[in-house]
Amino acid sequence: MSEPEGRGAAWTEERRRSDEGRKHLEGAPEASGRTLSTWDLVTASLIGTERSAVPTAGTPGVLIPDLASPGQDPAAVLLDRAALLTAARRAGRRPDQAELPPVCELDSRPVVRPAAARRLARMLRGEHPDLLAEWLAAVAARGLRLPPQLLPALLDRARRGRSADGSVARLVAEAGGPRVRWLAGLNPDWEFVLAESLAGEEAWRLGTASQRRAYLTALRAHDPGAARELITGGWAAAGPEERVMFVSVVAEGLSLADEPLLEAALDDGAAFVRKMAAEVLAALPGSALSQRMAERARRWLRMEEGPRGPRLVFFPPAGSDAAMRRDGITPSSGPRASQSADQTGLMLETVARTPLRTWTEEFGMTAAQIVAVPAGDWAPSLFIGWCRAAFSQRDQEWVTALINRALTGWALVTGALAELSRLIRQADPRLGAPDVLPGPVPEAPLALRHEIEVLRFRYEMLKELAHDHGDG
Amino acid sequence: MLALAPDASSLRAAQSLASGGSWPLAGAGDGDAVWGECLGSAATPYRTAVDLSGPAYRCSCPSRKFPCKHALALLLLWSGGGIANHAAAPEWAATWLRGVRGGGEPPRDRGVPGGRPPGPAQLRRAQQREARVAAGLAELDRWLRDQVRQGLAASQRAGYRHWDEIAARLVDAQAPGLAERLRALAAVPHSGPGWEGRLLEEYALLRLLATAYRAQPALSPAQRDTIRSRIGFTVRQAEVLASATPVRDRWHVLARRDLDQDRIRTRRVWLRGARTGRFALVLSFAAVGESLDNSLTIGTVTDADLAFYPAAVPLRALVATRYDTVKAGAPAGAAIGGLLTEYATALGQDPWLDTWPALLEVTPARVPLPCVSDAAGGALPLHPGAADCWPLFALSGGRPVTVAGEWTPRGLWPLTAWAQGGMVVRL
Repeated sequence: MSEPEGRGAAWTEERRRSDEGRKHLEGAPEASGRTLSTWDLVTASLIGTERSAVPTAGTPGVLIPDLASPGQDPAAVLLDRAALLTAARRAGRRPDQAELPPVCELDSRPVVRPAAARRLARMLRGEHPDLLAEWLAAVAARGLRLPPQLLPALLDRARRGRSADGSVARLVAEAGGPRVRWLAGLNPDWEFVLAESLAGEEAWRLGTASQRRAYLTALRAHDPGAARELITGGWAAAGPEERVMFVSVVAEGLSLADEPLLEAALDDGAAFVRKMAAEVLAALPGSALSQRMAERARRWLRMEEGPRGPRLVFFPPAGSDAAMRRDGITPSSGPRASQSADQTGLMLETVARTPLRTWTEEFGMTAAQIVAVPAGDWAPSLFIGWCRAAFSQRDQEWVTALINRALTGWALVTGALAELSRLIRQADPRLGAPDVLPGPVPEAPLALRHEIEVLRFRYEMLKELAHDHGDG
Repeated sequence: MLALAPDASSLRAAQSLASGGSWPLAGAGDGDAVWGECLGSAATPYRTAVDLSGPAYRCSCPSRKFPCKHALALLLLWSGGGIANHAAAPEWAATWLRGVRGGGEPPRDRGVPGGRPPGPAQLRRAQQREARVAAGLAELDRWLRDQVRQGLAASQRAGYRHWDEIAARLVDAQAPGLAERLRALAAVPHSGPGWEGRLLEEYALLRLLATAYRAQPALSPAQRDTIRSRIGFTVRQAEVLASATPVRDRWHVLARRDLDQDRIRTRRVWLRGARTGRFALVLSFAAVGESLDNSLTIGTVTDADLAFYPAAVPLRALVATRYDTVKAGAPAGAAIGGLLTEYATALGQDPWLDTWPALLEVTPARVPLPCVSDAAGGALPLHPGAADCWPLFALSGGRPVTVAGEWTPRGLWPLTAWAQGGMVVRL
């Protein structure tokens, strides 16, 4: 067969690819001139019957009646033969051979219910993606298993967001179990997850930051003292990121035995380690820092009886001293901050680190009553400060009171919404149950409605994972 | 409402007419009715009226489809808020509406089975259509031979217009089924290695259809039905319901696939009868962005009468009567050899069948290509368009799973799988 002119390398390449196609099509090693194959017809049809003869040989197993009458259009003859061969080839197809993958070891944990699987699919499509880690952690904590058909999408997601949130990769590895390791062995894109599958002390010695944190958190839960020793032993060698992690792990299961460690961290070289240590100490009832803060707070913020009922009045200090700064109360950033901005900063930092009990004891009121007392221009900073305190002290009474306050019509400043958003992600999910919270006032901003929707979503997603799961 | 459309091409035609510009006169009111005059190819506008309470349709156009594209377009326009309420219907519409509501027996101009036998005008229209289709097929045959004479190599550089032009001529020739097949071919030259063979196969099968149309007198009625439906002759739903013997069975809803083409979404739902072992295909249509018929839920079993469209290999069916729907576990999957034998048998009756229901018990594998393998060691490749299908793979964990999907000459397109424990998973 002569090649048409002017095609050169492209034509050769086309032929080569087509040859591969032919092998695939025919499943036979060679279809030479002796018998007619679809490929002979394809070749002729590519060139065109103007320039190429219609192949005529017979094909084993396919009876081709001589459809061509003398003088018939060669193109028609070619098409008719191709039709016969097409039908014959499709009907005569034989199964191929394949190499089976290894069989994955079984996971005895029950898979999550179908409703939970559907919710996971929605989250993977972009609905509340920031709650994925919490959902995964809840699945793992309840001894459930992830729906296997969604593991590929989860692994892709964990790979893309690996640097931003390493905990997703670890949680996928944990809740996905052996199926995740099996998949990672078959797709190099997912190999990264094998590093998240270390268990026990290996995870502490060799694991990623996220695994070390998980190991320490688990240890802290059943043996707080052992965790504290591990932290004390590793403190000197740890970088600032890890020291912050240490402090945040200590925040769970806090006791006075942790105070020396945290007091020492108040003198840490890194500002954000000091800040975190001050927040945790404030949450520790009876700690020296919480007593120092309560004493300052009582002095600076007082309830006064006015003509229209009680109101909160702030008596700011003239400036900050070294003791205050050590306890995390720093004046506003920026060298030229105005005096009022400075005072706002002091007030905010003080309230954020004051044990919330101080207020209920001092004023003899509940959290819900206190947050409703008018505070004039100070109200926004006071709200933000309480939000921070409720967050670090994990005080659900205050969390509930503050969320309720936001819903009942008080115009939120931008900074307050960000604090509230953090609070809502930590709040007891039962707050999201129907009819627990009041509906937002009509003029509530869209962002606030969105935050309440987050709470509802958390409530529903955790409820779906609770107790009886349908199928094994 | 779009479920009223007899087929996708009517719906498409209706959408292009569903704008105010095509309807110099349109109104709604007079009880529950919509009417209008539509500018068409004829010198005088077509008069269309719909009684929404029926619904009943009337149109002065010569179409034999029921409802015709004008009635559908009128409904689309009306449902989109494009028709204002009028105090009174014009005389021609009012007369017809009185007829519909008055005697209880609507004037059955056309399209109602068991009505009057076709009149001379209808016979003449039918003959005209046959003549148009025959001429269109002759033109298609010439075009196909020209392609092969000049060589298919040029097709890869040809734009979609290359196929659109001949497709448009076939629409004019009232062969919309062929037109759709041709339009779909524009994608073949860009479908990867082996495209030349696939294009030749499609051309060869199209010529076979043209040849078969001419050879109708020598064929069985069922074969004629197959050929005519592939060309684009539609059978009205009412006619199917009236003439087909209903097949009652417990139909397992196996799989579903939605396809978008030319602003129309087509939903294919595959069923399998527990008693008869028969497969069935239920089609529904909607405009892109509108929701499709959701009455058949994957993984359930519906006890129902199905009415099959007449064909050499009857697959397409309508749900005639539904008795009950229950949840169900995994159906029993077959071996690959069984699927291939069934498909081969079906091809003997209908060589144009290129989508065949598959219900298999298989283990997904990836070497040498993404595929599924059964207990006997045979394997079938996955369709390249179904990508790697990692979810199916992850679901199996290297063990056999039940998979439902569509078998095509290019490979298996998996649509549904059943996890251990019987939970149904859409892929």
